[in-house]
Amino acid sequence: IQDDHKLSTSELEEKYGTSINKGLSSARAAEILARDGPNSLTPPKATPEIVKFLKQMVGGFSILLWIGAVFSWISFGIQLSQGAESAFDNLYLGVVLALVVILTGIFAYYQEAKSTNIMASFSKMIPQQALVIRDAEKKELPADQLVVGDIVEIKGGDRIPADIRLIFTQGCKVDNSSLTGESEPQSRSCDFTHENPLETRNIAFYSTTCVEGTATGIVINTGDRTIIGRIASLASGVGNEKTPIAIEIEHFVYLVAGVAISIGVLFFIISVSMRYKILDSIIFLIGIIVANVPEGLLATVTVSLSLTAKRMAKKNCLVKNLEAVETLGSTSIICSDKTGTLTQNRMTVAHLWFDNQIYSADTSEDQTTQPFDQSSPSWTALSKIVTLCNRAEFRPGQENLPIMKRVVVGDASETALLKFAEVIVGDVMNIRAQNKKVAEIPFNSTNKFQLSIHETDDPNDKRFLLVMKGAPERILERCSTIMINGKEEPLDSEKAEAFQTAYMELGGMGERVLGFCHLYLPENEFPDTYPFDTDSMNFPTSNLCFVGLLSMIDPPRSTVPDAVSKCRSAGIKVIMVTGDHPITAKAIAKSVGIISATSETVEDIAKRLNIPVEQVNRREATAAVVNGMELKDMSLQQLDEILCNHSEIVFARTSPQQKLIIVEGCQRQGAVVAVTGDGVNDSPALKKADIGIAMGIAGSDAAKNAADMVLLDDNFASIVTGVEEGRLIFDNLKKTIAYTLTKNIAELCPFLIYIIASIPMPIGTITILFIDLGTDIIPSVALAYEKAESDIMNRRPRNKKKDRLVNEQLAVYSYLQIGIIQSVGAFVTYFTVYAEQGFLPSTLLGVRVNWENNAINDFEDSYGQQWTKYQRTYLQWTGYTAFFVSITIQQVADLIIRKTRRNSIFRQGLFRNKVIWVGIFSQIGIALILTYGLGHVTALNFTPLRFQYWFVAVPFAILIWVYDEVRKLFIRRYPGSWWDKNMYY
Amino acid sequence: GLILLFYLVFYGFLAALFTFTMWVMLQTLSSDIPKYRDRISSPGLMISPKPDTALEFYFNKSDAQSYAEYVSTLRKFLESYDDSKQSQNINCTPGRIFDQNDVAVKKACRFNLSELGQCSGKEDKTFGYSKGTPCVLVKVNRIIGLKPEGEPHIQCTSKEEGMVEINYFPPGGMIDLMYFPYYGKSLHAHYLQPLVAVQLAINSNSTKEEIAIECKILGSPNLKNEDDRDKFLGRIAFKVQMTE
Repeated sequence: IQDDHKLSTSELEEKYGTSINKGLSSARAAEILARDGPNSLTPPKATPEIVKFLKQMVGGFSILLWIGAVFSWISFGIQLSQGAESAFDNLYLGVVLALVVILTGIFAYYQEAKSTNIMASFSKMIPQQALVIRDAEKKELPADQLVVGDIVEIKGGDRIPADIRLIFTQGCKVDNSSLTGESEPQSRSCDFTHENPLETRNIAFYSTTCVEGTATGIVINTGDRTIIGRIASLASGVGNEKTPIAIEIEHFVYLVAGVAISIGVLFFIISVSMRYKILDSIIFLIGIIVANVPEGLLATVTVSLSLTAKRMAKKNCLVKNLEAVETLGSTSIICSDKTGTLTQNRMTVAHLWFDNQIYSADTSEDQTTQPFDQSSPSWTALSKIVTLCNRAEFRPGQENLPIMKRVVVGDASETALLKFAEVIVGDVMNIRAQNKKVAEIPFNSTNKFQLSIHETDDPNDKRFLLVMKGAPERILERCSTIMINGKEEPLDSEKAEAFQTAYMELGGMGERVLGFCHLYLPENEFPDTYPFDTDSMNFPTSNLCFVGLLSMIDPPRSTVPDAVSKCRSAGIKVIMVTGDHPITAKAIAKSVGIISATSETVEDIAKRLNIPVEQVNRREATAAVVNGMELKDMSLQQLDEILCNHSEIVFARTSPQQKLIIVEGCQRQGAVVAVTGDGVNDSPALKKADIGIAMGIAGSDAAKNAADMVLLDDNFASIVTGVEEGRLIFDNLKKTIAYTLTKNIAELCPFLIYIIASIPMPIGTITILFIDLGTDIIPSVALAYEKAESDIMNRRPRNKKKDRLVNEQLAVYSYLQIGIIQSVGAFVTYFTVYAEQGFLPSTLLGVRVNWENNAINDFEDSYGQQWTKYQRTYLQWTGYTAFFVSITIQQVADLIIRKTRRNSIFRQGLFRNKVIWVGIFSQIGIALILTYGLGHVTALNFTPLRFQYWFVAVPFAILIWVYDEVRKLFIRRYPGSWWDKNMYY
Repeated sequence: GLILLFYLVFYGFLAALFTFTMWVMLQTLSSDIPKYRDRISSPGLMISPKPDTALEFYFNKSDAQSYAEYVSTLRKFLESYDDSKQSQNINCTPGRIFDQNDVAVKKACRFNLSELGQCSGKEDKTFGYSKGTPCVLVKVNRIIGLKPEGEPHIQCTSKEEGMVEINYFPPGGMIDLMYFPYYGKSLHAHYLQPLVAVQLAINSNSTKEEIAIECKILGSPNLKNEDDRDKFLGRIAFKVQMTE
């Protein structure tokens, strides 16, 4: 813990061995530089690219395919040494398998490389040059050469080059938003103002910006030891948790690999015990693995996710980490910032009080008029004060923009008042010009008021008008009268009481309240030429006439209440985490529905029952507003209790560090937590969260880098759209996987039956790859475009542990039901092709050894004809093609049934998702090209097929469709039944 | 329990469906000739005896054991050509396609073993193996409806000149057209495919050397013998190595 902010200048000089006037000597600086290293952030130890690449090469199913490839090469070697002619088939197969792995690996690597490194933007923030005093001379040095003890000078516009203890300042203000997310400039001085070095005014932090003024200071921390450096290392230290979808995919890979390996090994043993040669058994093993592994699926999943990511980007959610697309869908708690995310991030006049009455103003984003009653002369007086007692101005040249969009020079409250006045009275600048300002006292924190004196625009009225605004109680102190319906009336205690009530009410709504008063200076005392002097205050500042109150708030975005209620119906808990005052936070939370109208906090109950807070049963309160100060003293259990017991929670006055604690608390509840943030300090919380959401407009680069997602419009409602997309993609991935897994059985069965019944090989390994990586790819991506079956925002977030992507029902239904129907259909085609060429099914059983014998060239078919080996092989390829075509045809039916899991296809609409049809046509198109276009390329094992064989499997395709409609019908008819439990995936 | 029952019913239904569709498909087929014969438009050649080791003959002419298997294979193969088995077969007109399309019961043409001369196994029970003149029978694969044009005959060549002298039975390696066409196993039960015996008189200098022999079917424009991929389409290659 540093205490440099407490030390005096001379103590600092002593501590760092420097001199304020002369700075360090170059030699000394070089020594320190050698000791501490350069003033830059060390990038995290990056995994070498080659390691990342290799990881992709062995991840997922790759290992299985590598094993397949190696086995292929081994059997190639053995067969070659035995001089077998077919040896090269195995070589090609091995090469193809390796290619598949390498290409999918490259694809995955490319996808990963696109997600950027968190440290990249930290290094971008380093200032290029710094003005340093060394050897009693001012020098421009590269900022990374700075060392502790250097004296640096900064001026408005500079980025602070290191952590600096200020020793001389002149009107210096810094923007700490890159550190805290608060964009309000903070003034800096040489005074020690706070125990906490982060809060004290006399330290400026590395990477923040000096907005105005100048300052000189001693460098006290450099490089990784700066505050931001520590956060950076903290952020990169927070482990990157696996995303829920990554866990799901891993689970799925294990499942499929498990099935592949166990079937493979089982049949290896069976074939060995059936006296097959070991080499043959190994080749069977390869076939089984290739048939079982959905080679194209992982790439398909990636493509589907990136399609969703693109769709989300259109809705202002920019996803950096593809898997985060789904994470958002399984989110169960959103910890949201208030300012800018839930609110419009601009002060707006919300209420007015004059003539003893509160009026509401319109706070929507695009107001053009104000509906409240403006007929009272009091309003005329008030509007004049609002217009004149205001230093804010529109930037010139924006006349064509809507008022609310115009850029204003001035602070937040004055901007609000300026726009408010412009909307109602119009052309403020002109009014100000007509009421020439003769004197002015700007707002300061000791006076707490702002005052100006104007000539009036009434040529007959030579009086000066004094207008004043400020903290209501201070303004009231200076008034002796109050304007009611345009008439000045004495300010008696009854009227003062009314003022108090109104002030409390507005303040209670979390609004910033300002009081307004005026005074017409008597003409005789203050003639035209009266020399107003603001220093000596040679004019009255008391006994003024109180006119009214205006209260302002940063109003919620108009889309937010709707979004919050959507979250509610979607079972997502929205927690507000803000640095704001609890009252304001609670008011906003209530107005957007984070705290619903009927719920009460412990404090509310206490107030209603008029009992001390301690006596309230905490469980009765559904809502809670937790102050950051309370949170600081809380144990983890207490925090858990709050998170558990209250459904509506607001954390106010919290520091960004506490955000991390809150996120961890939510995660302990087993929730999938989404967190929004914008400051550098938010980056640990953003990283820790299951999905970190950075603000695109207000967010710092570090926050954007730590986040998985960037909200381009900073709008909470966009998160909800994102959730919807995330849930949809989860459902659709289920469909994609179910679709892809189904045909694996139709690819696997041929091997099993080939081994057991010794029939000629029904489908080749290469052919399988053409299905997995050819005909099936576009259809499975097309499922990502499927619309939701029902309102997905009306169900609870999925339970990470129970609602798996690939559950037992999905696997069983795909493998053991649809997959088997497909196999039967494909086998019927296979047997038809052989039978019509002369090999009746009965002849085929048990022929494998002779069939594959190269020396037998007079193999007899069922009709007594004799076939050479090549003639048989060609027939076998025709069989492959027929089997392939049958699977393709039945996959069309499979694709159509996978459009829905519960609803009838007809309800979903057969033609609503056009991409599905693109998929179907591509599937058939590719199959046609393979059979008729490439049918003569020997290595591919396709042959031109008689056209009628395309239709053999059609009845089975129809059966698949009908069966699945029946399945869905029963699921809808009998929810919760045995059928529903076993058949719904 | 319910699950098992479900799958029992489900798979039972699928099995029935499979059986039914297969039955329907088989009903559409004729039992006499296959629906399509386009995959075997041209016949392959094959030899008898067929050594286990990839069409390579190794034997010692003075060791009866070394060629006993060849001899017994030939003997067995020729059994069905025995006169006693051919009593039902008729004598056909040589040199003409024996068209029996209009006849319900297809007759088989007689193939006289004596056509095979010294390779008939009648005079020399060892088919010449003991004398260093081994016989190899070349046969044309049966294909239903195949009608060779021209004058098909087998011709064998040895890559190495002067090592072997090749004699054919019947003379010139002729395959008579009267044995075609074939009408299939069920209609043409007694059909015997024509044979050509190739007798290799191995030069006594060439013993212990491997002699590569290729036989081709020639003289018929519709019988292919030069296919790139199918090494047995209208041709066959084998090796002979004889020791003393």
